[in-house]
Amino acid sequence: MALYYSFFEQFLSNAIFYYALIVMFSYMFLTFLSAVEMKSYLRKNSYVDYKAILVSPNAPSVSILAPAFNEEASIIDNVRSLLSLHYSNFEVIIINDGSSDNSMPLLIEYFGLEKVKFALNQQIKTKPLRGIYKSKNPAFSRLTIVDKDNGGKSDALNMGINVSGKDLILCIDVDCIVEQDAILKMVKPFLDEGKRVIATGGVVRIANSCEVRDGRLINVNMPDKLIPRFQVLEYIRAFLMGRMAWSRLNGLLLISGAMGLFDKDIVIKAGGYNHDTVGEDMELVVRMRRYMHDHDLKYRIVYTPDPLCWTESPSDVKILGRQRNRWTRGTMEVLWIHRDLFFNPRYGFLGLLSYPYWFFFEWLAPILECLGILAFVGLAAFGYINWEFSLILFLMVYFFAITLSTIAVLFEEMSYQQYTKGRDLFKLLGMALLEPIMYHPLTVYWSIRGNIDKLTGKKAWGTMTRTGFKSKTKQAA
Amino acid sequence: MYSSYSSILEYLKDLFLVRLPYLPSNIRSALIIILFCTIVFIELYLYISVRRVNQNFNKKVKSKWYDQISNLLTEIIIYEDESDTDAIVQHFLPAFKKLPLYRPFIKNMLTVEILNYHSNFTGKTADVLKGLYLSLKLDKQAKKDLKSNHWEKKIKAIREITQLNLRSEAETILKFTDEDNAQLRMEAQAAFVKLSDDNPFRFLDRARERILDWHQLVLFEVITKTKNIQIPSFAKWLSSKNDTVVMLCLKLVNHYQQWEAIPDMVLLFKHANLKIRAKAIENIGKMEAEMVEESLFEMYYNQPLEIKLKVIEAIGRIASGTYLDFLKSRAYSEEYKIRMAGLRAIKLHGEVGLSLLSDIYRESALQNRSMVEHVLDDRIKN
Repeated sequence: MALYYSFFEQFLSNAIFYYALIVMFSYMFLTFLSAVEMKSYLRKNSYVDYKAILVSPNAPSVSILAPAFNEEASIIDNVRSLLSLHYSNFEVIIINDGSSDNSMPLLIEYFGLEKVKFALNQQIKTKPLRGIYKSKNPAFSRLTIVDKDNGGKSDALNMGINVSGKDLILCIDVDCIVEQDAILKMVKPFLDEGKRVIATGGVVRIANSCEVRDGRLINVNMPDKLIPRFQVLEYIRAFLMGRMAWSRLNGLLLISGAMGLFDKDIVIKAGGYNHDTVGEDMELVVRMRRYMHDHDLKYRIVYTPDPLCWTESPSDVKILGRQRNRWTRGTMEVLWIHRDLFFNPRYGFLGLLSYPYWFFFEWLAPILECLGILAFVGLAAFGYINWEFSLILFLMVYFFAITLSTIAVLFEEMSYQQYTKGRDLFKLLGMALLEPIMYHPLTVYWSIRGNIDKLTGKKAWGTMTRTGFKSKTKQAA
Repeated sequence: MYSSYSSILEYLKDLFLVRLPYLPSNIRSALIIILFCTIVFIELYLYISVRRVNQNFNKKVKSKWYDQISNLLTEIIIYEDESDTDAIVQHFLPAFKKLPLYRPFIKNMLTVEILNYHSNFTGKTADVLKGLYLSLKLDKQAKKDLKSNHWEKKIKAIREITQLNLRSEAETILKFTDEDNAQLRMEAQAAFVKLSDDNPFRFLDRARERILDWHQLVLFEVITKTKNIQIPSFAKWLSSKNDTVVMLCLKLVNHYQQWEAIPDMVLLFKHANLKIRAKAIENIGKMEAEMVEESLFEMYYNQPLEIKLKVIEAIGRIASGTYLDFLKSRAYSEEYKIRMAGLRAIKLHGEVGLSLLSDIYRESALQNRSMVEHVLDDRIKN
């Protein structure tokens, strides 16, 4: 027994401790990089007049692809909101993915749609097309509705890519609230970089409790409920710190499925979205990067820190758990599909840093954390725990976590300052104190469940029930 | 454990000042990290809070001055005197001089507001605002900033000078048109176009750095929207060694429909840069240059797909009818994109084209028929 204890003591006190130090160091390094990148972005873009793109005949053309499945409650408002975005050369393609509700009849009636004889160029294989509809009203000439058999989000997006006739594709969730100048800001990197830009992403923010009218965000508020409030902090940290740093390093592996702008040509050459994973957004980015490496083409994937898209996050633990479970399974699937990238020097930064980072710090971290807790409980049961040292180690992780979150709040304050009310700011800072002890253990649990579900063969997407923004609008009114 | 310590404070004192050197290395490291994070966290918390408080205070102060400055400027806008510009400036000058312009933020606020108003008005009002700006010697700061080491300050100064059309600074700005910093370079190029009296496109002769797509877009807008600018023949730069200069000039040749550039554009059909080749062909089509149609046809078979598509599109736009058989043969190509481009090009031939499309519809298999129907439906733009 003493031998086992000695082994565990050595293992826990050294290996896990140094692993934690490496994780912490990597976070600090990413924080530093993202500060540099944010500063550079804000300086560079403080003089930009986006109107130049808005009116230019030379601006790249954009297809907005929005898959919709049983969205009858909000589909009309959402489509109207998309049609009103500020850009000159764009089309909106809504892909009705075999909805069983009244989405299609509603769209047909509201927009005066008629079936057209569209010759589809099936560049990416999808489920059968039922029909393509255009409006009789010239005011809606930018709108195309695609009706197809149900095949999931990836399949719907692939259909949208087949129908698209523009240079760039903006893939979004139809229920997201997109900022009016989102396309302008996302298109700019495609025009502004020395290397070919193959994708750009924008910051996704939490819209719970915000005031929304006609599919547009009117007023930003801190969510009333605790769970979405934690997610506000989590999203700020992930987008303003993590992704900006990876953008600086040109090592991004993920562009949020809620909103991403892609070079259509490369997406098609890479084979479009993968139907066999629930992490289709990350998988596409990894495959596009692989394509560029395999063909020896120089490229960049860029993140813009501007808040461009607002989404309603899960507001109860059960639904959030399903979402996180799916994210974990998605990560595992992508890492497995592209396992040959692992420390593969042929793929440069992608193989040597981005992929291993995701493997060790995104996928493995919660597993090790869970194992650590189990070992701790086991050792405690046998009386082998030094409680004072354990408390010190716990406090180290806690203080590091709250410092990191507070830096994220600082980034938000010094850049876009979306939460203008003082009490919202202090709520956010309060979340930084509570998150490591209240919210983080849940994310670890969901991650472990995701791993178990993946290993036991669960493939479900996990239903996302949304409260919707309408009720809030009425309250606000 | 804690019973041996009278308070947490004493425990911490003991831990950090007495026991620290004797603890295991990982615990020592953990304690140092805790200490560091605690200090950083407290500092950040205080900094964020104080910053917010300051921000709100400054907002209130600025709002007071902003209202005062706006009121003064509004008086100029609604002033209905027939006097000349100088007299109006002298009339309002004392009121503006009463502002505490020695305070940088007020001086800056006044400059920004004058620029805002100036951009929204023309004629006498704009002249009065410019006169006021000069009389208050607000241009001094802009001229000083042109010599700054910070590119942001230079850009701000260039914008100010351009907005108020201070042409005397054109030569100073020309120096920045080939700067290493891309933002500064673009601002200087755009400003030079607006300010230079004799040769606003001189910067194109000396452009060694790339003019990025974004910069081309901005320059295109500036050039095509600036009034009273003498437009040169852009053919002159179509042989430039800087591909991005060629690209920009091709866009301008098309915008101004400069026919004299056609021979130079034909030379670009052999350009190594596919984007330039494609743009030259596109321009020929948009200018409906029938005399080049044969060259387009002759080059077709040796080109990559994207150039082939541009050639078909250009022949469609020219629509002379000479190459209808060629276009018809394209409608049976194995490549979907070529088939679609061929059918669209035929459609552009008017009545003859529509009749040919009917023939193709009758002769074709199901897929080509659906493509003909697709092309004939004006609601479908793809």
